[in-house]
Amino acid sequence: MFLDSAIIESIPRFFTPVLLAAIGSALCERAAVFNIALEGMMLVGAFAAVVGCVYTGSWMGGIGFAIVAGAAFGLIFSFFGVQRGGDDIIVSIGLNVLAIGLTAFLLRALFGVQGQFEDPRIVEIPKVNLGPVADIPFIGDLLSGQSILVWFAVLMVFATHFFLNNHYYGLRIRAAGQNASALRSVGVSPERVKTVALVACGILCALGGAQLSISNVTLFTEGMSAGRGWIALVIVMMCSARLPWILPTAILFGLVDAMGFRMQGLGLPQQLTEALPYLLAIVVLIIAFRRKSIRQQALGQSES
Amino acid sequence: MIRSRYASIIAPLAIIFLGVMILLAIPQTRPVVEGFLNGAFGGRNHFNLFSTLARFSILLGMAMSVLVSFRAGLLNIGGEGQLVLGGLTAALVGVYLPGPPLYVSVVALLAAMTAGASWAVLAGLLDRVAKVPLLIGSLLLNYPASYLASYFVSHPFRDVASGATQTHRIMTEARLPRFPGTILDYGILLIGATAILVIALEKTSVFGYRVRMQGYSYGFARTSGFPTGALYYRTLIISGMIAGMTGYTAVFGLNQRYIDGMLTIPLYTWTAIAAVLLAAIIPLITPVTAFFFAMLATGAVGMERSADIPREIGQIVQAVIVLYLAGVGGKMLSGGTKEDH
Amino acid sequence: MQIESQVQPAVCRLNGISKSFGDIQALRDVTFEVRKGEFLAIVGENGAGKSTAMGVLFGLLEPDAGHITFAGERRKLKSARDAIDAGFGMVHQHFKLYPDLTVLENVLVGYEGANGFGLVPFQERRKAVASLIREFEFTLDLDRKISDMPVDARQQVEIVKMLFRGASVVILDEPTAVLTPQECVTLYAMLKRLCAQGKSVVLITHKLGEVMDHSERVLVMRHGALVAERKTSETDQGELAELMVGRQIETVEKISRIQPQVVASLQGVSVQSESDKPRLDGVSIELRAGEIFGVAGVTGNGQKELVNAVMGLEKNAAGQIIFQGRDIGGLTVAERRQIGIGYMAEDRMTIGLATRGTIAENLIAGREGSSPKGAVREGHSGFSSYGFLHWRQIRDHAQRLVKNYDIRTPSAMQRVGNLSGGNQQKVVVARELSAAPKLLVVENPCWGVDVGAISFIHRQILQLAETGAAILLISNDLEELFELSDRVGVMFEGRMNRVFDRSELDAFAVGAAMSGDEEQRP
Repeated sequence: MFLDSAIIESIPRFFTPVLLAAIGSALCERAAVFNIALEGMMLVGAFAAVVGCVYTGSWMGGIGFAIVAGAAFGLIFSFFGVQRGGDDIIVSIGLNVLAIGLTAFLLRALFGVQGQFEDPRIVEIPKVNLGPVADIPFIGDLLSGQSILVWFAVLMVFATHFFLNNHYYGLRIRAAGQNASALRSVGVSPERVKTVALVACGILCALGGAQLSISNVTLFTEGMSAGRGWIALVIVMMCSARLPWILPTAILFGLVDAMGFRMQGLGLPQQLTEALPYLLAIVVLIIAFRRKSIRQQALGQSES
Repeated sequence: MIRSRYASIIAPLAIIFLGVMILLAIPQTRPVVEGFLNGAFGGRNHFNLFSTLARFSILLGMAMSVLVSFRAGLLNIGGEGQLVLGGLTAALVGVYLPGPPLYVSVVALLAAMTAGASWAVLAGLLDRVAKVPLLIGSLLLNYPASYLASYFVSHPFRDVASGATQTHRIMTEARLPRFPGTILDYGILLIGATAILVIALEKTSVFGYRVRMQGYSYGFARTSGFPTGALYYRTLIISGMIAGMTGYTAVFGLNQRYIDGMLTIPLYTWTAIAAVLLAAIIPLITPVTAFFFAMLATGAVGMERSADIPREIGQIVQAVIVLYLAGVGGKMLSGGTKEDH
Repeated sequence: MQIESQVQPAVCRLNGISKSFGDIQALRDVTFEVRKGEFLAIVGENGAGKSTAMGVLFGLLEPDAGHITFAGERRKLKSARDAIDAGFGMVHQHFKLYPDLTVLENVLVGYEGANGFGLVPFQERRKAVASLIREFEFTLDLDRKISDMPVDARQQVEIVKMLFRGASVVILDEPTAVLTPQECVTLYAMLKRLCAQGKSVVLITHKLGEVMDHSERVLVMRHGALVAERKTSETDQGELAELMVGRQIETVEKISRIQPQVVASLQGVSVQSESDKPRLDGVSIELRAGEIFGVAGVTGNGQKELVNAVMGLEKNAAGQIIFQGRDIGGLTVAERRQIGIGYMAEDRMTIGLATRGTIAENLIAGREGSSPKGAVREGHSGFSSYGFLHWRQIRDHAQRLVKNYDIRTPSAMQRVGNLSGGNQQKVVVARELSAAPKLLVVENPCWGVDVGAISFIHRQILQLAETGAAILLISNDLEELFELSDRVGVMFEGRMNRVFDRSELDAFAVGAAMSGDEEQRP
């Protein structure tokens, strides 16, 4: 259970899918879209990435298919949730079930397989090798040899933060989340702004899924997202959608995941180690929400 | 406004009905529809019908569990965890408790209900005490529950000789009797009675009234002097008890043991939630929608047998229905407070 | 103060505008103009068409007939943006502000002036907004979040937004509903400055006193039509009120019938908070039978905590509350209601009523249990027994109340959400008053209710006082407080420092106390 190079090297693999989903979720949060379909978006991304690889023969095709799938789910959410005014929670439930059914269905229809799909045609995303940096102890393991999506994810945290605070559309996204009718009264469609946030979220979650299916491993399993979408949601809730905090929190979860994996190797049953992130999530949420409610009381807001 | 909501349900129903009629007429698509109907209702000696009813039994149970919570305005989606722990507890009692069969059966039922209720109350405590929203808390608790059950059934309590990931068989005499000549067990009677009780009490009892009003507006309930805390926990307890009971009937009925994933893979809880939403959280309509979804699932299996269409199409249809429902239903769960102001 | 000036040219004009929503004709052939630099008031009851007319003017609604002209030219306004570009600015009753964004960000949304990459030139925009603020003598901190700012400052931000976009016509919808008398003075001074600079101000309000004090011209709307146009100097409040309603309004007669016995007394009631300052600080009041005790104050100075403490909704209340000789500190909300304390909450949509429930369901809330006290009071056998409801009794009860309290509805089983604001409030009144409480706590009873229902509700409250009940009336409407109260206590920062007797009531003195200013007297 100690931090040796194997664990350190594995942490980015574990935190990247959750981090990507969390960034997307943060965007939706800022736009006041209660998107809890992150699981489904990640799952279809994972599946689409595999399909893309098989049909185009390249990892870029995999990424491309994943982006399309994620965007499509974002648009579906927008259509039923934003345009038609549907309840975000119900739409999310629909999308999550759709993802499960659709991926299982296509798995059979396209590949004639059930449960798990492995194929030599699935191409792994290239890794970034930093040459001499790789030899530095600890840091080298951490930084070198990680997939490009890992770097993408980390950079996206900062890019999104900058975007929200300095770009005019980022300002509008924040505005849409706080007072949609005010935004409408200056001639900007809050529906369109929310849709953009949803599509971006879909793409990010799907890329997180791609990291799962064509980088961490090269196969697709039914239900592959395995609750990571919910962990991402928890992270965003804890950090109140503030991006600078999302990165360390995601890394923390990645660390716990990595340690759980190591403990499996040491003989602890798989199910218990898999439950670890959820127990951590619950503990962490308790801390975060208690603190938030104490702060609210101090500001003189009465309990509802 | 309610009139237009009915219109938006009746119109698509009419279209679907027409569509099905047309598909029956066209020779190429006829076997698909026949396969569906056969899968739901047919088979030798109507085997499939009883299969549908068995599925309906569990769905109805979970739908009632979800309904009780939703009607009270509580977004408790931890039904899966409550169901699993209920089933597991029932199985363990059924396997290891010595005693006369009726005694074992009753203790298993009570233990299952307690397990389900406790897990629901845990989510409630997370909300009221630790301020973790019920939606998130109850959902997150699903995973440790499933993993725990999976672990128990894979290692300490596993029936290794059987080769599958499952417990030993429960005491044979304690199992729920079956309707003669069918695979359907009496569990459906238990669940059916519970459903009738829930539907009747919702409208006629003071508790049902208070809980309904609290679901409409928590502030209103508080100001009117309702015992909001008690109502909150009682609702969760009832929800959890019904889920636990459903787990008991699944284990003591058809399967006579707890098999890993038997309660989670068919997505019973998510389907039950869909059924409740489709019924617009109206108690009287919920059994109808639950039956519909049961039929959808078994019909899909039939379609796979006869027309080679993967059975997951059933889940896809279910998802599309939920999405369509969201599009016409408005803010059913989020309440009226997400206003544009 | 009326300014006699020659008639200025029209900045814009509505010509023959008509608009209906389904069966309802909201506007009927309305024609009027707004002149340059003038202060125009538009008055009318709720539903008279003022907001619809403004909606058309502001491009939010498309008229079925008629057109709008600007400086003589016809203009089609398809959206709010068109209206803004044409020079209109509107301060809505519910501010269109983003609570978590700063003042600067609020002003910029929609007008960011982004460069080619989409980045907002914050430095440059900041200078522009700051100079605007200086020019019109506002006091605003550009980096403060809206949620941290008081109401009058937020209103200033709304006006700055309009000026930043070059508005020449400034429309304000009920701006003084949320302000103290002093803040009103500041606001009107600011509006006069705008007029002096050549901008036109259109004030939509029902506060006839302010119309008389500040406007130059008044338009009266009723049932969608423009029924009168007057120069303010040539009319008075009485005439305007009559024109608004179309008939004589009966004024409510207040006769004080205070009896000597004390119904309730609060002694040193306090509510602590997490910070050092308590939210409610040692309030002591004595309420006699038949007395109406008004509570004035800017929202947020402890009124909510006071109400919650009396009703039992506040967990951290300290001090003594004695009702009919008994210390009720330990009683729950339900128990307090049962011994005769009623409560009409100000937020009827989410607290006073369950709008998704039926009228009947709402009317029995708090009395559905089969307690003997609740049963005996109205002389029937109660609404439930052994945990089961008696629906027939509940229905009869509801039908009776619908008749007695003039609730306009097709049936007593109608969903409350489908009723109009005034009728919804009547359901609350019916529920609380039919229980014949000995102490009634009322918050802003006539918020969002039209004139006809207002006088009905005021009469009900006065009648209840005449039966010997004590009433605690919390209100933001000084007119209402002055009309009904025997005494008025003013809350400021959790303390009730000043209590005015009915004979001492004066808007400026009360206003000064609301701002914490002890010394100022006219």
